[in-house]
Amino acid sequence: MRKSSYLFLLPFFLLTSCADPDTTDLDVAGLFSGQSERTNVRFTQSMAYNDSVGYPVIAASDETYRVFVCTDTHISDCRDNLEYFISAYRQALDCPLALHLGDHIDAQTHWDFMDAAFTDIPANPLKHDTCLHLVGNHDLYFGQWTTYRSLYRTGTYYAVVQTPSGAQDLFIVLDSGEGSLGSLQLAWLRQLLDWADNQPFRHRIVCTHTHLFKPDASQGHTSNFELEETYELMSLFTRHQIELFLSGHDHSREVYNLNGVTYIVLDALEQKGNPAFYLELTLAPVASSSVSSSLAYSFVSVPDSVSSH
Amino acid sequence: MKKILLFSLFLALPLVAWPALPVQHGDSAYALSLSAGYGYNSTYLSHGDFDISAFLPVNPYCELQADIRLSTADVYSFGFQARPKFLIPVGCLYLQTQILYRDLHRNLFHEFSGAVSLGYRMDYVDFSLGCGMRLMRPFALDYHSTEQMVAEPFILTYSLRVFVRPQSADWNLYFRLSDWDDFQIERVWSPIFGLGAWYDIDSHCRLGLMADCKPTGMFHLNAAFYAASALASFSYRF
Repeated sequence: MRKSSYLFLLPFFLLTSCADPDTTDLDVAGLFSGQSERTNVRFTQSMAYNDSVGYPVIAASDETYRVFVCTDTHISDCRDNLEYFISAYRQALDCPLALHLGDHIDAQTHWDFMDAAFTDIPANPLKHDTCLHLVGNHDLYFGQWTTYRSLYRTGTYYAVVQTPSGAQDLFIVLDSGEGSLGSLQLAWLRQLLDWADNQPFRHRIVCTHTHLFKPDASQGHTSNFELEETYELMSLFTRHQIELFLSGHDHSREVYNLNGVTYIVLDALEQKGNPAFYLELTLAPVASSSVSSSLAYSFVSVPDSVSSH
Repeated sequence: MKKILLFSLFLALPLVAWPALPVQHGDSAYALSLSAGYGYNSTYLSHGDFDISAFLPVNPYCELQADIRLSTADVYSFGFQARPKFLIPVGCLYLQTQILYRDLHRNLFHEFSGAVSLGYRMDYVDFSLGCGMRLMRPFALDYHSTEQMVAEPFILTYSLRVFVRPQSADWNLYFRLSDWDDFQIERVWSPIFGLGAWYDIDSHCRLGLMADCKPTGMFHLNAAFYAASALASFSYRF
């Protein structure tokens, strides 16, 4: 194809919701109607799975433990950063839980290669750990909800981490692949938060793929949450004492602390020459003098020798 | 087939109702407008909107507009627009300056936003391009907060309206694509689609109908329907 033809295609890449950079496949209709099921349908399917198997309860080996979080791996033909992340959380004896905040793959043919990283890297015989997955927008392009669902079963759920003393921390996972939770998922979230208010959780954390704020143009021409929903969620999180809101999608780090909630947008872990980071959360018993000291976070960079491949 | 039907329905949605501005900038008479409408979005679900708009042409080179919207979703919006106009041989060049305050009482948040756009108006087409900003601030701030507010310092604003008759006609239909209206300045990648119409009963009274549709995730998310609204208005020109 001549270079002038690529220039002609540029507006389509910018406008369409589903542009596959490897195959130059375009989902032009995706500009108006994404090929994956709508969020209410995905939510209903997720709930059907949750109802059949229940919600995960993960055992921590100590009262203080770490959770490793990554996002936006965008795997195509190289997964070194993801392997580094998996190795890191499997080697950490105090890490019972890892989270992948979505956008696992860059194009529709890379699921197997990406998912195999979790089986190719051997489990640590000294401990059990679990990686929870979230659905991102790239995971939905070209109707890939079907593939995501075959691998990870559900996009909306919660998990509880339980310490040896019986203390519990709540992790709520939301599907925000449309920039809106949709009416059903939002109603479920409200109910869940009402229920959580009456439970003695030490920490309450919400995780989703799409970020809430748009303070700069770091992610260029991609949309995020609708404004009405942005305010609704911020209000819910403050009212229900959510301590931490984790998201990705933007590829560029942001940290806000507003009205009792810390909003973190994680850097991407993708293999594109940019500095790649993941997040380490440390959850500890709530200190009587200072609430903030019981939940700490730090960003960990992937060495250049790994990410430059 | 289902996808094609959904896609067609999405495209046709604005056609099922007629949107129109309650007052039409470019007029030379003072006007007062009352509107009532119904809206739905995935977050608030159903809600009713009641608007009051005043249009004040100061002189041939400047016009002012003030807007109030009261919504049953417990959201209250107040807007003020000033439009200096520059008469040129063909069409009219104008500077659209707008400030908005929204009291999102349901969420205990204030929103302050403003925008400045350069517009060009002809008989059949009206478009503008500019930039805006937004501040989001809670009613009451927790003393642990390290941020006082969330700022979105640059929003690209755009608006395109295409009319089927000259804008001076006593009835008209138009299509609109923009990321702002009298009561909201959206993010650049959240366009608002609409179709509108007005009918002048006589030289004083104008009836208008408007319908808007706001999708979500159109740009690199899983695009879907998010919100729609329909509004009927009555304007009196003094």
